[in-house]
Amino acid sequence: MKFTRTMLCVAVGALALALAACGSSESGSSSGSSSSAGANGASAVTPPPGYQSSVDESLSGKRGGTLEVLQEADFEHLDPGISYFALDYEVVFATQRPLYSNKPNQNETVPDMAASAPEVSADGKTITVHLKEGIHFSPPVNREVTAQDVAYAIERGANENVANPYLQSYFASIEGMPQAKGGPVKGIETPNKHEIVFHLTEPKGTFVAEALCLPITAAVPKEYAEKFDKNKPSNYAAYEVATGPYMLKNNAAGKVLGVGYVPGKSATLVRNPNWNAKTDFRPAYLNEINIKIGGTQAVIDRQVLEGSDVVQNEPVAQSAVRLAAEHYKSQLDLSPGGGNRYITLNSKSGPFTNINLRKAVWAALDREALDKVRGGSLVSNVATHFIYPTIPGFTQAGGLAGPKLDYDEHPEGNLAVAEKYMKLAGYPSGKYTGTKTVQVVGASSSPEKEDAEIVNQTLKKLGFNTKLTLVEIATMYAKYCNVPKEEIEVCPTVGWIADFADPQTVLKPTFDGEGIVATGNVNQGQFDDPTINAAMKAAETVNGKENRAKAWGKIDDELVENAAAIPYDWEKAPRLEASDVHGVAMLWNEGAWDYSFTSLK
Amino acid sequence: MIRYIIRRLLWGVLLLVIVAALTFVLFRVLPTANPALLRAGRDPQPGLVKEIERLLGLNKSLPVQFWEYMKEIFLHFQFGYSYYSQEGVRSLIGERVSATLSLTVGAAVLWILGGLSVGVISALRRHTLVDRFAMGGALVAISAPEFWLGFVFLLLFASDIGKFKIFPGAGSYVGLTYDPWKWFTSLIMPWVVLASGASAIFARLMRSSLSEAMGEDYIRTARAKGLPERRVVRHGVRAAINPIITLFGLEVGVLLGGALLVESVFNIPGVGELNYKAIGQSDFPVTQGTVLLAAMFIILANIVVDVAYAYLDPRVRYS
Amino acid sequence: MSGDGEPLLRVEDLRVEFPGEDGVVHAVDGITYQVHRGRTLGIVGESGSGKTVSSLTTLGLTRRQGARISGRILFDGQDLVTLPEEKLRAIRGNDIAMIFQDPLSSLHPLYRVGKQLSEAVRAHRDVSKTQARARAVELLGLVGIPDPTRRVDEYPHEFSGGMRQRAMIAMALANEPKLLIADEPTTALDVTVQAQILALLERLQSELGMAIVIITHDLGVVAEMADDIAVMYAGRIVETASAARLFAAPQHPYTWGLLKSIPRLDGPREEDLVPIPGMPPSLISRPSGCHFHPRCPYAQPDHARIDPALAPVPEEPSHFAACLLEADVRARLWRQLQAGSTPKQALAEAGLPGAPA
Repeated sequence: MKFTRTMLCVAVGALALALAACGSSESGSSSGSSSSAGANGASAVTPPPGYQSSVDESLSGKRGGTLEVLQEADFEHLDPGISYFALDYEVVFATQRPLYSNKPNQNETVPDMAASAPEVSADGKTITVHLKEGIHFSPPVNREVTAQDVAYAIERGANENVANPYLQSYFASIEGMPQAKGGPVKGIETPNKHEIVFHLTEPKGTFVAEALCLPITAAVPKEYAEKFDKNKPSNYAAYEVATGPYMLKNNAAGKVLGVGYVPGKSATLVRNPNWNAKTDFRPAYLNEINIKIGGTQAVIDRQVLEGSDVVQNEPVAQSAVRLAAEHYKSQLDLSPGGGNRYITLNSKSGPFTNINLRKAVWAALDREALDKVRGGSLVSNVATHFIYPTIPGFTQAGGLAGPKLDYDEHPEGNLAVAEKYMKLAGYPSGKYTGTKTVQVVGASSSPEKEDAEIVNQTLKKLGFNTKLTLVEIATMYAKYCNVPKEEIEVCPTVGWIADFADPQTVLKPTFDGEGIVATGNVNQGQFDDPTINAAMKAAETVNGKENRAKAWGKIDDELVENAAAIPYDWEKAPRLEASDVHGVAMLWNEGAWDYSFTSLK
Repeated sequence: MIRYIIRRLLWGVLLLVIVAALTFVLFRVLPTANPALLRAGRDPQPGLVKEIERLLGLNKSLPVQFWEYMKEIFLHFQFGYSYYSQEGVRSLIGERVSATLSLTVGAAVLWILGGLSVGVISALRRHTLVDRFAMGGALVAISAPEFWLGFVFLLLFASDIGKFKIFPGAGSYVGLTYDPWKWFTSLIMPWVVLASGASAIFARLMRSSLSEAMGEDYIRTARAKGLPERRVVRHGVRAAINPIITLFGLEVGVLLGGALLVESVFNIPGVGELNYKAIGQSDFPVTQGTVLLAAMFIILANIVVDVAYAYLDPRVRYS
Repeated sequence: MSGDGEPLLRVEDLRVEFPGEDGVVHAVDGITYQVHRGRTLGIVGESGSGKTVSSLTTLGLTRRQGARISGRILFDGQDLVTLPEEKLRAIRGNDIAMIFQDPLSSLHPLYRVGKQLSEAVRAHRDVSKTQARARAVELLGLVGIPDPTRRVDEYPHEFSGGMRQRAMIAMALANEPKLLIADEPTTALDVTVQAQILALLERLQSELGMAIVIITHDLGVVAEMADDIAVMYAGRIVETASAARLFAAPQHPYTWGLLKSIPRLDGPREEDLVPIPGMPPSLISRPSGCHFHPRCPYAQPDHARIDPALAPVPEEPSHFAACLLEADVRARLWRQLQAGSTPKQALAEAGLPGAPA
């Protein structure tokens, strides 16, 4: 789905890397069973119960062969400077090498283009990154990658013709970035060919260092790309070069569009002849990846289940998940970390400014039913708080069971508890007697539609007059729920996936009262609690993974205690592979198959 | 006749201009998402959104956008560029038109032959078992949703996922010039699915039209002349076919705008699929292009049908 | 009926029934008549008298509608009732041809007239398209259509009413039939055109020597053309005679009613037209006894019980009537009617008891 995209890479400060090297398992796994050690000593994640993920980072797959990928949706943007969707990442992370990257089944990033971990100064205002040597661009550029290429890659994000969507969210604290328009940025310094230094205006070094795993840091050759970046909009993607093990097929002039990428039809990844395996942690078994675009998910899923040398790499159709779970179990991958889904209630205006009314609705909701229409326990867990499995802070916030609160403890819904809060809210009859009609806006596609109906019915049961509107999901966000002026009381089908595995990216954009904007507002409930806002501000600058997990886990519980929104689903992300494919899933990218690690049997 | 055709064509052009204008208005007025917002990602800074709007030319006032849009289309035959792939809309649509044509024309042939023959047989054997069976089957075919029918066919006959592996599976479409045999076999199931609903409607129409025609006096005369029964039926069919031709032409016109559901299920890269995806992305230039294309086909179909009608029924000839 | 030699067509006790939802429709209830070569038989009756059905049955055109047919229709030594379809088809449009009432609806609107004519020819003769077309032009000329070479390529709607009927006739004559059945050929036409068509038919008959059966409800038409006349009522022939005798000395009250209801140019102005009261009977449940008795001004009580058969009229060997009244009574009644009496008066004059039923 468009608005769910993942990017989980946990950039760690030097301290955390030491922790990881000691082999400590972390993040959302609550099972504590075996953790297999990978080649460089980092520990693999064992998913919580109910998941089934091929997290075996196999380093001994068979070399060669062509993998076919059947894909319903087309890519949005393959330009590493614009790319921001999970589907796009599947190609971008096979062809581009950001400064830091995730191995498929690990939550720690490892240096990719970088040679070592980022060095954050004591005052948190300087980040130094050393680059590897001997990494070359693919044809037709061919030359070695330098720090200037990384600088240009980041700087071009501010170019109006590129317009990177997350640049200001994560990199605004780089000196000169807010005013940048695509030209050189004062705070990005390249003292030599293999060193890049970031100067920040605020002590946010740890956080910004984490963001260096985003694809915008993948090198882009300025002398080759700037002519494309002059076009409105930039068409660098039509000619883009690669630094990763694979590249989009191109012709001698470097043209990708129409050769390696035919919009709406196909994309072809071939081996990058200039890629040096010694500089990369990726094994790159496959010779070629052929992506076929179009069709419908239900048909694609079946073709994959019965086919050969083929995978699908998008959310699986519900019918197919069930089929696979029953008959093709070994071909189904269920990854944790598919994101969360919740119901926002407008706490700024309307009846739900009353916290007890919010708690009453929470208690009355049958969250199990909400999950059932999405496919049941096979693909979901009932959510009891907001941080979801694999994100640090999950266990600290209460894990699967969550904080012990009476309105949260009954996932099947409990009218008695609901009544209690209705009375506390000032409705002794247990039913709402006000006159305001509650507007409920949900998405018209399934299963969102069914979820919206269930929420609507629950509200009616509590005595509310409701007006339910169902529209296309993009419209739901862009025109109604993300627009505070519309004063929508209930948005039952919103969800969130983190940009990378830091709990701040799950909780802050969505519940920070100071981040509410006029359009594109992702704090749909307009939740604005000064105490929590302050806590978030403080937690932004906490250093160290454990500390951050603890701090944000606490905030998560506070959000639950304030009924900021009603979480109901922690999604598991299913993927399918043919029986003769040895797929390896990107834990950090909603379980998508990693082309650089997948092999044929 | 020639004057009539020319006149209709000119009116058709005028109609296209109106459709273009209406399309523009509709897509800006209906509750779709702002494409700049979609492009900006999910935590969009207001400044970023403005930048993207400028990039896509959305920041100009509506009348200016409208004027530029109309000018580009009718003076330069330029339909703009997709907001997403930056590919020219004209080439985007152009490379998909042949697939849609292949699908539509083949299905049309099938449903004319199928629908008419079933209809004729049913009309001649009214109230017999053959008739009831045929009309019952027609009802099922009309009611079956194309998507479901396509899926069922794939599950039954596709060489990759079907029970009986006969026909190529979804996604095996190739261009006619590329591999004629593969083109043909990959289209058989889509043709049948697309034709099923339409041919059923035709069959029912033909049945009633022909039944009525066979009761007319000129049929009695034909028999009294001693014509063989087959000839007599031909007389009836000749008269019965006129109202059906109208419907046929219109149906083909509509389908040429893209048979979305069949294209999706069988993964045929046609205009319908393009249109569907573009709508979801609020990719105005592409949707405007596909709508205009569809309108053009429908207008053409109307003209062709009217001319054909005048040709087929000498009583309504225009001078 | 008079005539020389074997009749060309002999219908013997023909019955045609149609089973229907409300009951069996007795369309033709046992009729017998003959047609001789080169002569014209007129069949007269109201709508629903069975006149059209009997002719259609002759050509086998009622077989498709589920008709139950009994009796014999002898033509050229063959019984058309039992003749297999293929053989009957060879006769249709060939030896026996039929023309219909409304030429606009009876000609195919979407085929050119020439094509429809050629078709008729080629159905029975092995000739080329060019030859057939030439014949079509010839036929159009034969029936008096001017500029036939141009007209042959036109569509029926481009012809006037009269010309259309001529074209129909041309089509019927394509293969020089021995018998032409004309079902209400002039009913849909103007009076002046009527006369032309009738004249045409007469001319063609003398030129080609074919027999004609002309079916009509209009006695005026048969007065011109027919040699012999059969009057039908409720599926039966109630009177049959030569035309001359029928007009001079009609024997059946129904015939009298028909004759009296025709305005005559030479009749006295004060004389009222005398329509036949009532409606034609249902062919499913016909009246008991004499089928005409409910409408007959002269019906007697036992006429509701006894069903009269066609009986010869004394001293007129080819004149038959199906009436229970005595012949001399009938003669007297007719004389009264001719003198200008109303039926009631005639009844009283003849000294017959009883009011009309």
